[in-house]
Amino acid sequence: MAGLELLSDQGYRLDGRKATELRKVQARMGVFGQADGSAYMEQGNTKALAVVYGPHEVRGSRSKSLHDRAVINCQYSMATFSTAERKRRPHGDRKSSEMSLHLKQTFEAAVLTQLYPRSQIDIYVKILQSDGGNYSACVNAATLALVDAGIPMRDYVCACTAGFVEDTPLADLCHAEESGGGTTLSLALLPRSENIALVQMDARLHQDHLPALMEAAAVACKGLSKVLDSVVRQHLQEVSVQTRE
Amino acid sequence: MIKTEKILHLKSSRGGKVRVVREHYLREQVPCGSALCQAQCQAQGQHDGKVLSGDVTHYVVPDAGVVRDFLEVLEFREFRGVVFTQTACQALQNTRGRRHYNRLRGLLKDPRYDCVLFANEFQQFSYCARDRGETQEKWQTRCVYHAAVWYYNHLAGLMSVVMITEDQEAIKEYGSQNSGVYVISTREYLESFWPDLHAAQELYASIAQTLQERESEGAEKEYSEHLPAEVLEAGIKSGRYIQGTLNVNKHRTQHEAFVRFEGSASKNAELNSDVLINGMKHRNRAIHGDVVAVELLPRGEWKGRSMALTEGRGEEKGEDTQSQPMPTGRVVGIIQRNWRDYVVTFPPREELQSQSRNSQKILVIPWDCRIPKIRISTQQAEALQDHRVIVRVDSWESTSLYPNGHSVRVLGKAGEVETEIQTILVENCIHVPPFSEAQLREMPVNSKEQPWQMDQAEISSRKDLRDTHLVFSIDPLGCEDVDDTLSVRTLPGGKRLELGVHIADVTHFVKEGSLTDLEARSRATTYYLADRRYDMLPAVLSADLCSLLGGVDRYAMSVIWELDAESLAVCSVWYGRTLIRSSYQLHYELAQSLLNGEDVEVPELALLESSVRDQKLAELLQALEQLTRVARHLRSQRDKGGALELEGVEVRAQLDEDKNIAALVPKQPLEVHETVAECMIYANHWVARKIQECFPHQALLRRHPPPRQEFFNQLIDSAKSRGFVIDTRSNKALADSLDQAVDPEDPLVNRLMRVMATQAMSNALYFSTGSCPEDQYYHYGLALDRYTHFTSPIRRYADIIVHRLLMAAVQSEKQECFHKSLASNKELEEIAHHINNRNRAAQHTQKQSTELFQCLYFRDKDPLTDERCVADAIIYAIRANGVLVFVPRYGLKGAAYLKNRESQVVSVGDDGGCVWQVGTLQRYPDRISSCTSTGTNTFHLFDHVTVRISVETSRCHSDNLRLELIRNKPHHSAVAESRMSGRVQSELIEEVVRREEASLQAEEEKTRRPRLSKEEREFRQSKRPNLYSILQEISELALSDTAFCHIQNTELPTCTTSA
Repeated sequence: MAGLELLSDQGYRLDGRKATELRKVQARMGVFGQADGSAYMEQGNTKALAVVYGPHEVRGSRSKSLHDRAVINCQYSMATFSTAERKRRPHGDRKSSEMSLHLKQTFEAAVLTQLYPRSQIDIYVKILQSDGGNYSACVNAATLALVDAGIPMRDYVCACTAGFVEDTPLADLCHAEESGGGTTLSLALLPRSENIALVQMDARLHQDHLPALMEAAAVACKGLSKVLDSVVRQHLQEVSVQTRE
Repeated sequence: MIKTEKILHLKSSRGGKVRVVREHYLREQVPCGSALCQAQCQAQGQHDGKVLSGDVTHYVVPDAGVVRDFLEVLEFREFRGVVFTQTACQALQNTRGRRHYNRLRGLLKDPRYDCVLFANEFQQFSYCARDRGETQEKWQTRCVYHAAVWYYNHLAGLMSVVMITEDQEAIKEYGSQNSGVYVISTREYLESFWPDLHAAQELYASIAQTLQERESEGAEKEYSEHLPAEVLEAGIKSGRYIQGTLNVNKHRTQHEAFVRFEGSASKNAELNSDVLINGMKHRNRAIHGDVVAVELLPRGEWKGRSMALTEGRGEEKGEDTQSQPMPTGRVVGIIQRNWRDYVVTFPPREELQSQSRNSQKILVIPWDCRIPKIRISTQQAEALQDHRVIVRVDSWESTSLYPNGHSVRVLGKAGEVETEIQTILVENCIHVPPFSEAQLREMPVNSKEQPWQMDQAEISSRKDLRDTHLVFSIDPLGCEDVDDTLSVRTLPGGKRLELGVHIADVTHFVKEGSLTDLEARSRATTYYLADRRYDMLPAVLSADLCSLLGGVDRYAMSVIWELDAESLAVCSVWYGRTLIRSSYQLHYELAQSLLNGEDVEVPELALLESSVRDQKLAELLQALEQLTRVARHLRSQRDKGGALELEGVEVRAQLDEDKNIAALVPKQPLEVHETVAECMIYANHWVARKIQECFPHQALLRRHPPPRQEFFNQLIDSAKSRGFVIDTRSNKALADSLDQAVDPEDPLVNRLMRVMATQAMSNALYFSTGSCPEDQYYHYGLALDRYTHFTSPIRRYADIIVHRLLMAAVQSEKQECFHKSLASNKELEEIAHHINNRNRAAQHTQKQSTELFQCLYFRDKDPLTDERCVADAIIYAIRANGVLVFVPRYGLKGAAYLKNRESQVVSVGDDGGCVWQVGTLQRYPDRISSCTSTGTNTFHLFDHVTVRISVETSRCHSDNLRLELIRNKPHHSAVAESRMSGRVQSELIEEVVRREEASLQAEEEKTRRPRLSKEEREFRQSKRPNLYSILQEISELALSDTAFCHIQNTELPTCTTSA
């Protein structure tokens, strides 16, 4: 009804960004000592924590193990306090298992799993605060955590969402924009090769608009990859300074 | 960019309060939108929107409260340099809703208003966060103030900035600060800066008073509360409520209203008709035209609609006759208000005194009787009594019996022609101010001293047809806005025929986005009233430079076909811009006489030597003959496809109405009319094909949806009473069966049946191809799969769009790229919707103004003695207490009662005269009988009767005519026959205008006032729509309502012959 005006006539979005601008991205790597790799990621007000264990032997039944590559095990969860209303979120509900599956698919495409046959890599991601683009924040955080864990990948996996409002593609949607009823497209990209690791879209969109939307999401992903790259480099610098000392 | 956070407290869906944190990004570069900007904001921020002019004395920044309450005042175009802050816009959106916000957006987009939006909340230095515990209003005022200060500093003090607010504390607090920004109240601002703009001051006072009064209100509830929007939305989705547009029954405004629901009708199977809303309580403050949510009442409370005719307005009798109970409901909420400006009349003094004992509030009565009385507060009630005034509705609280409003503008005294015409315009939302200086400055000059000349670059880029082609136009006599010209020739070799339609190239003069273009878009069409015309384009274009006059060089858009000389099949088509010089400006009668081989004088050839003349005449004649052959072929092709032949009637009709311009127009339609119309239809069709193929998602076409079968029921039943069978299964079947349904004794019967058939059809509509499935492009009336309007760009905006599309299509073929972006499907659909709306308004205006003049004509005539008030009429429908009749002589339609208020019925004496007697009425499908002590009289459908016409005056509404049955025999009048040569309609208007002018002059002498100059006189154009265009429109069946007035106007001559 009295829907919010997602894109003003002057080209501003609700939070003052222009159509192609990303939210502020902040990230840190190596936030936990116990895990093999970990990272904390903020995309605007969406905050995610990713932890990576492995590669290690396959836990549980041996039958799950694959003889030619590693198994990737993902688990996604949201903190009870992550949204405006506190809500208990049991493990294994439909939404989070779907998200886990998506993450698994994404990283199976990116991690060089054939280097670790008969082993397992665990990726745990938790959303601490949710403000739209949960999936992309998780992917970006998990990428950093995998880098931190030293697991070889083809490329960074960068994910970003894009929406479509009044014939204009918007990059990196916030919660208000996502729930505004329009289309949301999530794209996980290997930026250097421009290979798509995962793409997902709910809601209907005219096929003529799809290329524009994909393009917007891809540009946003490439922008993110630069940020992730600088985060990794900075982290390496810090670590190397520490080790030298 | 700097990231901050904004913490909001919002209501959650469950009703609790939720704390929401939203990001808020600030930046240094926010375009200020001023021409004086020192920092080149515009250049950096790829912002190509409007720019505030630098030559004003000051910029004014209205506060959120001012924007919320007094936006209407700021809408005066005199105010220049208005900076709307984002804060104020959002406040408006939150408090006043989407409609007001869209209005503001419209202002901001419209280049005619000198105002911009400044996104102050995204500007790093003008943003201020809301403090803890600060009220929203205070915070908004502070934001606006900071924005104003920033603006002042940003422009480096080059322009003084004034902030206006209604908050006295803010004036005190900020007014003393030495920041360069003046903070004053709105009243003070208006008084000191715009002392001459009285209209704005009055409007301000009117709104301010209304606001004040509203605060001191509050009483018991008259209506139940509306449900909140979320509940309504959920209810509509679940099917509990029905969404639809409220339509108040014109004849029973107090009791009956219907909701026509939109969209998912199939969800509720039992609802295949409209929903009845019975009474004001159930209508629950909804006003005619609002989009409402309706809850159905239990089946036991369902009511029927009443079938009787009502006598007079306002008073309503108890429901005596009702139809079957139909779904009945009550309004539970209003989804969208569609309030517009209403014209109201102030009550006379006596009523005033009884009303306003305690306050200055007055109930005024709207002109449109479907609108409830409106309560306004004003000091001027005494002065304004019996004046017509424009009023806007502000609110309708549940505690109030009537809606509250405020007055906007005074139109004049009720009953004067000028006032009444203005009333009709306002009621149809037609706004036609004279073209502004700025618009006229865009126009090319063509005067004696400075004749207009063609551009050399244009000459080289266009195809030059001046020497190669014989181009001529055929229009009504005296027409000066010539849209279209024709050419035809045999190509060398003799195997091919070349047919060309050349249309005025309006888009060359009216550039997209220019002021003239915007004005034309908002007008969308030229408005034809009974006595005057409001042009879509300035006269210099419509009568001169765009008009394809004879003997002068003009730019044109052409469609040229190469046809096979034998089979007339299309071999190739060329579209493009051309240069033409029309050799002959013919009129229809002349062209027809030439074709008939009569010896007539062609004015263009009069001065030539006889040998040259004969040769030229032969050339012209050959061209006309070829043209006729092609048109016949085209027509027959379309007939095979099932084109509807309704025009036979209407065309003739319209011709007769036009008699005063073209005095020689004969009563019978000429073949040459059809020839021209056929060529235009052909051009339109081919252009439609071209643009649809090039732009499958964004071409503007025109479709005519097939009518719903149930609408034909009345026609079928009526025809049955005369023994005719009407087959309505397809357009071809309908056309054939209508042709057969001819009563040799009474040609009017066939005519009336065609009118009914026309009525059953829906209007043809413009649409954008992207928003409609391809199988719905069909044009039912013309039997064409694709159709658009291309041939009258001077008087229709749709044609201008089509011209642009066609040019883009031609260019894209040549260069494989668009030089300009075209309107998207969505924009185009919006424009199409707007044009459709305007066209409907134009039709209503024309109809209402005709009615107005009819009433004025009869106003001074004494119905009992004046011969002219008695006329022949034919019954075309039966109602419970009367019949609907059609008076061919004056082109009137109306109800004649067989039962009066004292329950007496009409009884017919031996001589055929009618008297009122006690008795009863019996109604059958095809006849109605009145039983009295003297006997039974029956009136059949299509019977001729005699009626007396008198005027029923109404103070607040428009006058209407009243028809009284006086005899059940056809009316014979020797006087009428001799003097009535089919010119009654025009005569009627002329007489009224004359009388009006005489009274004006008399007044003038008294007051010694200079008379209003009439600029229209300068450019003498044909006063009526040009004939071909009418033919075309009618043949296209865009008729519904106006069809009536056209038909009415026209059947005059037929009557003479039959009577």
